[in-house]
Amino acid sequence: MRTLEKLTRRLFLERGFWATALIFWSWFRGSSHAEELHTYEGTDFIGKTREGEYKNFYINFWKPMRRINGENWQLKITGLCDAPQSFTLEHFKTFISTTQSSRMKCVECWSARAQWSGFSIQELEQIVRPQPEAKGILFHCGDEYKEYLSREALNQDRVILAHSMNGKPLTDAHGFPLRLIAPSKYGYKNPKAILEMEYVSEHQAGTWSKIGPYSQDGTILPGTDHPLEFSKKPHRISGGEITDY
Amino acid sequence: MNKATKTFTVLTLTTLILSSTSVFSSEMVEIPAGSFVMGSDNDDYAPPQHSMYLKNYSIDIFEVTNKEFKEQFPEHSFWENAGSHPATKITWEEAKAYCIKIGKRLPREEEWEKAARGEDARLYPWGNKPLRKKAHPFHSGLIKRRVGLNKKDVSPYGVRDMAGSVWEWTASDFYRKKITRGGLWNFHLEYEFSKTFDRNLVTPSNRLPFIGFRCAR
Repeated sequence: MRTLEKLTRRLFLERGFWATALIFWSWFRGSSHAEELHTYEGTDFIGKTREGEYKNFYINFWKPMRRINGENWQLKITGLCDAPQSFTLEHFKTFISTTQSSRMKCVECWSARAQWSGFSIQELEQIVRPQPEAKGILFHCGDEYKEYLSREALNQDRVILAHSMNGKPLTDAHGFPLRLIAPSKYGYKNPKAILEMEYVSEHQAGTWSKIGPYSQDGTILPGTDHPLEFSKKPHRISGGEITDY
Repeated sequence: MNKATKTFTVLTLTTLILSSTSVFSSEMVEIPAGSFVMGSDNDDYAPPQHSMYLKNYSIDIFEVTNKEFKEQFPEHSFWENAGSHPATKITWEEAKAYCIKIGKRLPREEEWEKAARGEDARLYPWGNKPLRKKAHPFHSGLIKRRVGLNKKDVSPYGVRDMAGSVWEWTASDFYRKKITRGGLWNFHLEYEFSKTFDRNLVTPSNRLPFIGFRCAR
């Protein structure tokens, strides 16, 4: 009986220890989860993430990419234009700047709003002078993503090349140093971390349109949206740019 | 191949070619005067369900096609072989101008709904059940097709493509936006036909690939 009591007490103490350890572990895990860093924090790379600060604005990349050094970066304008050349970030300071609030709508379902600053494509085109046969631009990005937009689409109101987000230079995750903002199109038609813009004579399929059920046009269609800042509560959308919220 | 088979083959091919290239939308159907049930009490975006009387009017059986629109507005451009597809990327003003140019007008919202819904308050032009057939391929954009291709998307008056195909401008507005009717909803690559009372509100200057129109008189 005495042995049994000892055994029971030992079992009780052992199980109690593990139960307490489990509670502490769960508490610790929950706490670190709330303050979690995203996968690429503190590394030379950036890639797809929904963690940490990006819970409120998801980040997609085609492939993880090395962060771009703004001091070395130059935007190359190539292809069918009379004055192909490269631009530095300093050049953009001479362009007429525009700021707009617009919502990025991902084809996956979520969306998020931000204030974007940059310049219109016309600012560049005055200098590089695209040729009449140039029907569109093929964007080459730091993560090897490619996307095509027609010049007609690029010259629409509210389509800008953005270098700032919410009053600060773009972060690496959001496409530093330059990205396209085309609010009436799904996110995959808003290429980021742009390295080169190539004027081409024919329509081309972008990376996602080549491999998945993604339209080459990419216009946001009527349906529902799940905005991140509204806890993904479904909102009906009429298609095109989301302006109601 | 005997003579009868040859004749049959030629006739079939001719029919197929004609049906794939023909343009229909100048055809109209008269909607008789009378009351119908408009709106829904189960949809926050539609007006509450109520009875409405309309005088007789006519409406296009098909959506206006690219080829037809280009005949009136030669600068209209579209993809090769898309002449019989619904004309899209057209602003509300341009759609209105087209209708006026050919002696017609844009339908009012209630005219559009009655033409789609008939007098028995049905949910879809063909009845109350969704079609078994998938509304659209699993794709992030609209794949446009010849108007009238879906033989089941037919209203009680014989009007076509009022639940699928593209959304259509109407003459009606709501808080500075124009009311469009009768297209597809895209719920993250799962498409649904719109119901007869579904509304979509769009800025009239928008030029969108999923909005076309038909005319009335």
